[in-house]
Amino acid sequence: MASNNFFVPASVTSSGRPVLVPNEVECNLLSNVDIEHDQDDAVSFPPLKSGHFILTTHRLLFLSSSCSSTAVAIPLSVITHIFSSKRSLKSVFHSPRFRFQVSATPDNRILDSDPGRVTGLRSVVITVVVRGKGDWELFLSKMWECWRGRAWETTPSETGPASASASASLYASDGLVRMVGVGGLLRKEQEMWESTDRSLQEAFQDLNALMNKAKEMVMLAEKMRQKLLAGSSSQSNSANDEELGSKEEMQDWLLSVGIVSPVTKESAGALYHQQLSRQLADFVKIPLERAGGMINLIDVYCLFNRARGTALISPDDLSQACSLWEKFDVPVMLRKFDSGVMVIQSKSHSDEEVFGRLRALVTKPEALRHGISASDAAMTLGIAPAMAKEHLLTAEGKGLLCRDISPDGFRFYINLFSEIILDDLFLVKDYGIYSTWVKASSASGFW
Amino acid sequence: DQYRLLGENVAKLRTDLMKEQLATFRSQLEDFARKHKNDIRKNPTFRSQFHEMCAKVGVDPLASNKGFWAELLGIGDFYYELGVQIVEICLATRPHNGGLINLQELCNLLRQRRKSNREAVSEDDCLRAISKLKVLGNGYEVISVGKKKLVRSVPTELNKDHNQILELAQAQGFVTVDEVERRLSWTSGRAIDALDILLEEGLAMVDDGHRDRKRRYWFPCASSISSSMGADS
Repeated sequence: MASNNFFVPASVTSSGRPVLVPNEVECNLLSNVDIEHDQDDAVSFPPLKSGHFILTTHRLLFLSSSCSSTAVAIPLSVITHIFSSKRSLKSVFHSPRFRFQVSATPDNRILDSDPGRVTGLRSVVITVVVRGKGDWELFLSKMWECWRGRAWETTPSETGPASASASASLYASDGLVRMVGVGGLLRKEQEMWESTDRSLQEAFQDLNALMNKAKEMVMLAEKMRQKLLAGSSSQSNSANDEELGSKEEMQDWLLSVGIVSPVTKESAGALYHQQLSRQLADFVKIPLERAGGMINLIDVYCLFNRARGTALISPDDLSQACSLWEKFDVPVMLRKFDSGVMVIQSKSHSDEEVFGRLRALVTKPEALRHGISASDAAMTLGIAPAMAKEHLLTAEGKGLLCRDISPDGFRFYINLFSEIILDDLFLVKDYGIYSTWVKASSASGFW
Repeated sequence: DQYRLLGENVAKLRTDLMKEQLATFRSQLEDFARKHKNDIRKNPTFRSQFHEMCAKVGVDPLASNKGFWAELLGIGDFYYELGVQIVEICLATRPHNGGLINLQELCNLLRQRRKSNREAVSEDDCLRAISKLKVLGNGYEVISVGKKKLVRSVPTELNKDHNQILELAQAQGFVTVDEVERRLSWTSGRAIDALDILLEEGLAMVDDGHRDRKRRYWFPCASSISSSMGADS
């Protein structure tokens, strides 16, 4: 661009913003445009690629994205004609573009001053190719307005440096932008636009760079992990403590980068999870009491995070922390049912204890006749129906209960089959549940 | 013995290297966060792109609250909170739909709930939050039935037969035994078995009130019910 003299150079501030003359106001902006010329023009300039195209009341400015310290301008005064944009079939496939015509001098420069004084002018058609997603039709219509407005013909009054164009000028004398008046509003809008677009582009670039670094970290972490695993198997026990120490550190680091390693027999997981594990064990005591000794893991997730308010823990954090309980001496445990449901159970509410209570419930005369449902069990055990159902199913699995599916629903009965001898099917032992059942059933007048 | 000491020193060297690399990574992430934390918060497309790239690289930014990602970018809280809200909505709607809810409906209910939040929640965000919840058991999963996605919040396993019925139900919100037999070419026994299980699990409701005496099975999850369901309790 340095060699191109066609356009009028424009000055920019250190942060890449164009310097405007007094009274000049930015009106619109298109990002990612190319500036080209028609092939059949004798006068030519090297095409400008990929830059911001800014419309002001006085000029059209092109700021290259790659080289933000240089900019060129086309004064609106040299525009002789703006072509109306025609929609054609061709335009569907190409990037939108619009054209306008300017006067150029014989020595291949845009006319920078009063046309009256120069002879031998040529017309050059400039094409603006809009590759970005901006509203170019709006830009074009604003361009018409600005061109017709001829703001450059009204000279600003020369009354002292800072005061005069106080309300109109966007740049104070110290070069800083002043957000005042309509100019200020327009400017804010554009700044927002421009910064959104620019920052998203920048954001993606930064994201790429970050991901490359993350990839490196992942590879490094893998290498370290392999080394530690290999090291622990070959080195003697005396080095073990140090190994363990660094293993936990290692886990912490992996966690920081975002690599989850499962809790294994050898490792105790990250220090973070160990601490969380103890914290959780304490937290969960009261809810467990209230829930009768068993809570759904997902309920704990919600409860814990709600209590925390901020710096919430992830589901993985919770799962890891709970699985660490078996390594510590805590009064709670994590339990997974066949259905996939995971619960936190208080160790005092062991299976044996629950089965005892269930057996007591299911051998009552009512229950012997009609069985129990999940809600009955729930009421007796003092836990949620869903949890009760899990217990009933487990008890069935252990041979304590039998299920009965009927139009009345899903009910459970005490398992009598264990007392029935195959060889003597009708023998009822005097003492046993079978006889109790017979007594209970006959009492109701079934037979 | 010397060799062991040497080995330890070498290990220590590596540890220091790792620490250094970690510090560099962290500061790079800090820079990124300073410039683009807002972009991630406000722009669902950028957010989704961010996640895809993390997955490609092999890191899980939502794995732990302790991770740099959650700490510096602050997206952890966003998704974990979303998880909590999704669980609450699923629980609240379970009496009605048996634990299976249309993803769109879930997102709508979520957005209503989060009206005060300026952060937009996309379907992609919901899907990610739900995929994280999976690890807690309870069967949180997204299943595809026909063209729609359903979110399951109970451990009920649905087999292919059930899925086909659900897909059929998406047209009108209900099916009849005849329709199932006719459209899927099943025997009546097969249709009734499948429908009975769906009833048992609470996913369907029976409607015997039509003049033609044909029983209709309604599926709350398959029809797009507007959220005039009342309070989220």
